[in-house]
Amino acid sequence: MTPVPVVLTANGVRSALDLDPHRTLLSVLRTELGITGPKEGCDDSECGACMVLLDGDPVNACSYLAVQADGRAVTTVEGIGTADSPAPVQRALLEAGGVQCGFCTPGMVVSATALLDRVPEPDEDDVRVALAGNLCRCTGYQKIIEAVLDAAGNRNPAG
Amino acid sequence: MTATVPPTVLGSRFVRRDGPEKVSGEARYTADLSFTGLLHAAFVYAGRPHARIVSIDTTAASRLPGVHAVLTAADAPPVRYGMFVKDRTLFATDVVRFEAEIVAAVAADTAEHAAAAVAAVQVVYQDLPPILDPEAALDPDSAPVHAGWAGYGTQSGVQRGHNDCGHMTSVKGDVAAGFAEADLTLTETYTSDMVHAVPIEPHAVVAQWQGTTVTIWSTSQVPFPARAGVAETLQLPLSDVRIVVPHLGGGFGGKCDFHFEAHVALLARATRRPVRLVFSRREEFLATDKVRHATRIRLTTGLRRDGTITARRARLVLDSGAYCGDALFATEIGLMMVAGPYRIPHLHAEVHTVYTNRTPAGSVRAPGGPQTCWAVEQHTDELAALAGLDPVEFRRRNLVRAGDTGQTGQWFVSASAVECLDRAVELAARGPEPGPHEGLGIAVGWWFSLSVPSGAHLRINPDGTGTIVTGAQENGSGSVMGLPLLAAQELGMAPGAFSVQYQDTGCGPFDIGSAGSQTTFNNGRAVVEAARVIRDRLLDLAAARLEIDRADLELAGGTVRVRGVPERSVPIAEFAASTQLIASGSGTPPPLPEHDVSGCGGRLGYAAFAAPSFFCDVARVRVDPDTGVATVGEVVAVHEFGRVLNPVGAEGQVEGGVVQAMGMALLEGSRYADGHQLNPGLLGYKLVTAADAPRIVSEFLDDPVDQGGPYGAKAVGEPTVVGTTAAIGNAIAVATGRRVRALPMTAERVWTALHDPADGGRS
Repeated sequence: MTPVPVVLTANGVRSALDLDPHRTLLSVLRTELGITGPKEGCDDSECGACMVLLDGDPVNACSYLAVQADGRAVTTVEGIGTADSPAPVQRALLEAGGVQCGFCTPGMVVSATALLDRVPEPDEDDVRVALAGNLCRCTGYQKIIEAVLDAAGNRNPAG
Repeated sequence: MTATVPPTVLGSRFVRRDGPEKVSGEARYTADLSFTGLLHAAFVYAGRPHARIVSIDTTAASRLPGVHAVLTAADAPPVRYGMFVKDRTLFATDVVRFEAEIVAAVAADTAEHAAAAVAAVQVVYQDLPPILDPEAALDPDSAPVHAGWAGYGTQSGVQRGHNDCGHMTSVKGDVAAGFAEADLTLTETYTSDMVHAVPIEPHAVVAQWQGTTVTIWSTSQVPFPARAGVAETLQLPLSDVRIVVPHLGGGFGGKCDFHFEAHVALLARATRRPVRLVFSRREEFLATDKVRHATRIRLTTGLRRDGTITARRARLVLDSGAYCGDALFATEIGLMMVAGPYRIPHLHAEVHTVYTNRTPAGSVRAPGGPQTCWAVEQHTDELAALAGLDPVEFRRRNLVRAGDTGQTGQWFVSASAVECLDRAVELAARGPEPGPHEGLGIAVGWWFSLSVPSGAHLRINPDGTGTIVTGAQENGSGSVMGLPLLAAQELGMAPGAFSVQYQDTGCGPFDIGSAGSQTTFNNGRAVVEAARVIRDRLLDLAAARLEIDRADLELAGGTVRVRGVPERSVPIAEFAASTQLIASGSGTPPPLPEHDVSGCGGRLGYAAFAAPSFFCDVARVRVDPDTGVATVGEVVAVHEFGRVLNPVGAEGQVEGGVVQAMGMALLEGSRYADGHQLNPGLLGYKLVTAADAPRIVSEFLDDPVDQGGPYGAKAVGEPTVVGTTAAIGNAIAVATGRRVRALPMTAERVWTALHDPADGGRS
């Protein structure tokens, strides 16, 4: 296959790459750009562990071709907050006990961020639906849902 | 390190130490690691359930571009291995016994080249009729799955038969006399499909040799048993094998036992390059050979008219698939579950673990638990109806109390079975009256704590922080992350002052791993023991320094200080800077309660339950009569865990267990045709999502035990997944007036039971 030039801006860093057109966004993030927060859990858009924001919209990076992301901004969990300076939703997940094995967590953080950007004051049903594409086997979801609602409160102290 | 420490840190809510790296995406899992010169591994699978291998030709595959090695049974030591029965080899030799049997393994420079090499391996098979019906397979005249089974080595005590890799009995009293006392008798059969562990992280292994030693990074829940498996199958000394588990993305039993580490190590040795294997989700379903047994459970119970149980006969048949693996845990625990936490004076129970040509089964979270509890508790509701009693009252009359004896004569010292029942009913009653097509279902059960050796090292660093070095494995539950609570409690330090080095066989003492809900129970005792050694040393040092009797000193706030005179204190850091404060603990395992297995056969060590815990679940379920779809609105789960040390962790276990058990109740099961799984993916095998998950009300009743874990704690991880499936089944029956006697109770099965009650959803 003839490589195709692709420009990706991942977490604010611009990279020019020549990529086989069949490469997924997930594989390019993980292997070419060294961004391993997004995980491969199913390679089929079923588990949500690879969720990233593409110009602010959540997509399963495992089922999205890297060439489709050419010229666009990709935000992964690493771009949302850091261990030293977590975003409200990350901090809320920690405090609520919404993290166990942590493998689904990067995708959960991304989906929750996408929700809160769109719906700053979600109710419980909004959160449940927004996270329905992110499978978690450890927590039973309850503490994750609580955390997202808590984070919304933090982001919007008046709400 | 914070300056103030609460009087007791046990039972406090705290943020787990590995949390910040997990929420930020920094946490590295096995598949995230990078290596110079890395090769990619892939397996050649049989692709058929049962066949004789006529020939294997790897010539063409070996010549493809980028291919570094193609290995078969001819390249591995001829070792048969297996925890209970040595019935398998790393690669298929003459016969393949399930569809994902490994026939060959390749290593290539890219994943694409590895896939091409897999496709180019030429294997000629002579297909054999697949053996798929466990009951038929027990017939001595049926074809054997393992022709040479009688010659296989076994763990001491394993009793086997034709296509039966482990059978056992549990006998109490005189069952015929018990039935003679009965006024009412009921027989029912309950079946469950194969269920998968489904950790969100697929299996991954990286192996790298340097000289004669190999380091293996693996998604194992049990690094020390994995090390033993590599050493056994590759004929290496244990000291030449190091297993390291980076962050583990869940396991639920699916990553127990020993699996693919040796294959990857062989590839790495053949190529002298680091080699990585990463499973696809399809391989997770087909090849991880670690599924929850499909089970057939027949129960016959005799009652007096007042609802008192007089006798029970039980027969369990577990579909073990092609190999035994660690299945006999499920076998014996299933046997222990058939009586439930009930007074049953006369019992005869038998269980068979049957070879078939399916994906091998093993110990998935609470092996043998959920499906047996479900069957027993459906049966219990049916018995209550037979006696004309309310299900709660029926249970209250028959549940074990302190002073009762269990099925093998074990004395119960706790009344918490009834207390859990009463509290769960009280909590569930706070909700509204059930609406149309809605019902509340109840289930009770019991579970054990696994008492085994473990070990930990502890040291205090010169700045007054601490480091715990443990052999224990963190599967995500937080049990290893909770160990600092115990060290902090003993040493008067803050939990946040301790770091933990873990899941590396090169540094921690032996531990059986994340299995049997045993980490806090056993490794917790080891940490406490090590901490007490250091505590003693600190008290001696401080008594000398302050010229005061030891008895007048206490450890608090990161200091050793005089009781009642806190300003007379010496920081622990001061001692640590001038003295080696190092200790080890092994935490002697408490013995099994006294019991009597006379008359029982084939028992292997779970004939009594150490530090048993009890629980009661109540589920609120609505069933759509037009579609059979069941919606779970709320689950109340009341557990008695002895003493809860880490409430956030315990709640997390309950909530996760409830939802996993709900999946088993309604969604999760492998469908099979001709020896092939029909739904090996997350589209066909659905998990419960955030949108479907119920509201969960959990509560813990304290009942600390002397012969238990640290401070009277009991096992937490597994009992949480045992009861909810049963409660949901009973709620469906209450909501619909129909009993579904097959798991999962899918919409199709519920609909069928509604329209053809005799079928029970089993067709």
